[in-house]
Amino acid sequence: MEDKKTRILVVEDEEILLTALSEELKQEGFEVVGAKDGVEGVEKAASEKPDLILLDLVMPRLDGIGALKQIKDSPASKDIPVVILTNLSDYDKVSDALSLGAMDYLVKANYRLEELVSKIKTVLERKQFGTLATPTVPPQA
Amino acid sequence: MRNSLHTKETEMQRRMYEVSILKELGDRIGYSLNVQKIVDVIIGSLRNLLDYSTVGYLLLGEEGKVIFHCVLEESVNKNFITEVKNGMVAALSALAGHEIKLDEIDESISGTITDETNKNSAKSFFNIPVVINDQPVGLLNISSTKDGLYKEEEMTILYTIMNQASTAVSKLENILTQEKGKLNSMVESMADGVLMVDTKNRLLVINPQARLMLGIAKSSATIFDVLDQLASKMDLRTKIEESIRNDKLLVEEQVQINDKVLRILISPVKDSANEALGAVVLFHDITKEKAIEKMRDDFTSMMVHELRSPLTGIRSIANLLKEDKIKNEQKKYQDFIELIVSNSASMLDLVNDLLDVAKLEAGKFQIMRRATNIGDVVKMRIQSFSSLAQDNHLALESRIEEGIGPVSVDDNKIGQVLNNFISNSIKFTKQGKIMVSAFILKKGQKLSEKVASQGLVWPGLKDPSFGADELVLAVTDTGLGIPDDQLSKLFNKFTQLEQSAASEKKGTGLGLVICKGIVEAHGGTVGVFSEVDRGSTFFCALPISPESAPVVAAPAAIK
Repeated sequence: MEDKKTRILVVEDEEILLTALSEELKQEGFEVVGAKDGVEGVEKAASEKPDLILLDLVMPRLDGIGALKQIKDSPASKDIPVVILTNLSDYDKVSDALSLGAMDYLVKANYRLEELVSKIKTVLERKQFGTLATPTVPPQA
Repeated sequence: MRNSLHTKETEMQRRMYEVSILKELGDRIGYSLNVQKIVDVIIGSLRNLLDYSTVGYLLLGEEGKVIFHCVLEESVNKNFITEVKNGMVAALSALAGHEIKLDEIDESISGTITDETNKNSAKSFFNIPVVINDQPVGLLNISSTKDGLYKEEEMTILYTIMNQASTAVSKLENILTQEKGKLNSMVESMADGVLMVDTKNRLLVINPQARLMLGIAKSSATIFDVLDQLASKMDLRTKIEESIRNDKLLVEEQVQINDKVLRILISPVKDSANEALGAVVLFHDITKEKAIEKMRDDFTSMMVHELRSPLTGIRSIANLLKEDKIKNEQKKYQDFIELIVSNSASMLDLVNDLLDVAKLEAGKFQIMRRATNIGDVVKMRIQSFSSLAQDNHLALESRIEEGIGPVSVDDNKIGQVLNNFISNSIKFTKQGKIMVSAFILKKGQKLSEKVASQGLVWPGLKDPSFGADELVLAVTDTGLGIPDDQLSKLFNKFTQLEQSAASEKKGTGLGLVICKGIVEAHGGTVGVFSEVDRGSTFFCALPISPESAPVVAAPAAIK
């Protein structure tokens, strides 16, 4: 993990949020790829091979739920963990997303950077546990 | 001579009794349709009229029950009564056309029964049928231990009384049937679902609406069908019992049945004597109200989303700007400042729009009319949009009818309406041109003819009717066009955002709602004509009265 930076795909239609999130994550040492709607998100999930996807729910063209379905349907991207970016008002969509295979969610309006980073790390660890047959050594970040 | 006088006197006396019985009957029938009660009244008054040992009746009651009651004026033995009863049963069986079994009879005797040492037997007797609505429902019997007591005269008296009573009851029953019919047809045609149960939870009435709402197809529904349909949602039986027990109206605010949301009211029903009769259950369809409520909630959460997203972004960017790292990257620094400026501006626009809408809804939206040269207003708008139109490779033109004098409008607000129309057209037009037009439509003149005479083409134009001379302002594009079913939603606050959220184009969608408000504050109307793939025309028509000279002589509108 040390030699290669963790790559995160941020799918978010709100330009200012995409910019802010990308910059914050870069400063935390992640490599960041941005996508401005669901369609672009699905494409980049397959082509950029990110380690994790942050996915907004309300977007034009293809919304988060639609994008998530396609990501999970495609062999190229189905194993990439997805964290949902959400607003407080669409909790019912969050539960839809979780049942579709999203691993966690984050409320956009009041996230703190530390919370976001620790969530990303937890999800990545869980993903490693999940893929190892018998995890004997806890992965150290 | 003396004998005939005596007869006359007796006759008179009998007449009087007859009349007094009939009067009492009349009073009783007024509030009772119970045949048994009426017959009780008759036999209670007979003593003054006739000589007899026993008077009794046999009545066909509800649910196959037969009532036998006998009043003993003098003591008779058991056999006397049995004889009378058997005689009546045979007679009523013949009259009713079916056999009355002795074990069906509900028997009661008042008076003294002696043992069989009293050898008195029924020496004279007669029966009078009780007939209601041409249907025999019972029999009245007069019997005596004396011989040869009853002649035609006695029988006629009782027959007359009985006949009068029957007629009165029949009439009342008819009226009641009619009233019941009216009531039933009212219940049948009600928009709400209604059902009624008695105290034993039997379904007395269920109207078609209730069956429809509950999804009960068969016409002979029972209470179990109703309970079944509601089973997973509510325990109606318990509610009904509770309502009757506590004599209280119970309300279930929201019960989802199939695709409908119902409000269910359970109300106890009592008779005039405060005796519980059962309960009425009313089903009120509130699906539409709930849908509007949901739209309102969706609107609110959309608004919150629209405001919170940029604000969250601004906060994050501002935090980043605090760090030295960014300050050293000049390009990024500039970009970030730019983002803050544009996002706070769009937030402010949205807040202003929301305030406008709130004012419109509260009826506190004010306009400031002044004499306005509408041509100037249009020219200003064209100027301010010309570069945007050019960027989008669209021609932006105007056609103002010659000779439009100054009109009394709020020039700023009308400018805002044009702004909205034009910016929408630019958003949704990929190629072609946008035409802004202004003309006067005389009262009674056809809009389509006027549009043609101005050399304009409005796809999808239908002729509306206006009640006055109108100043028409319109923006026509060669854009995507709007499907018919979407047209009516355009000026609706709640349905707007859904559309704008799904489209790639940004905007709160409140613009047209505000336009409508502005135009209506002028007493005018807004509208849209459209044809898919040919383009749309958004217009407003503002009534103008030639005699209404501008109040304030202010300079023409220039922002």
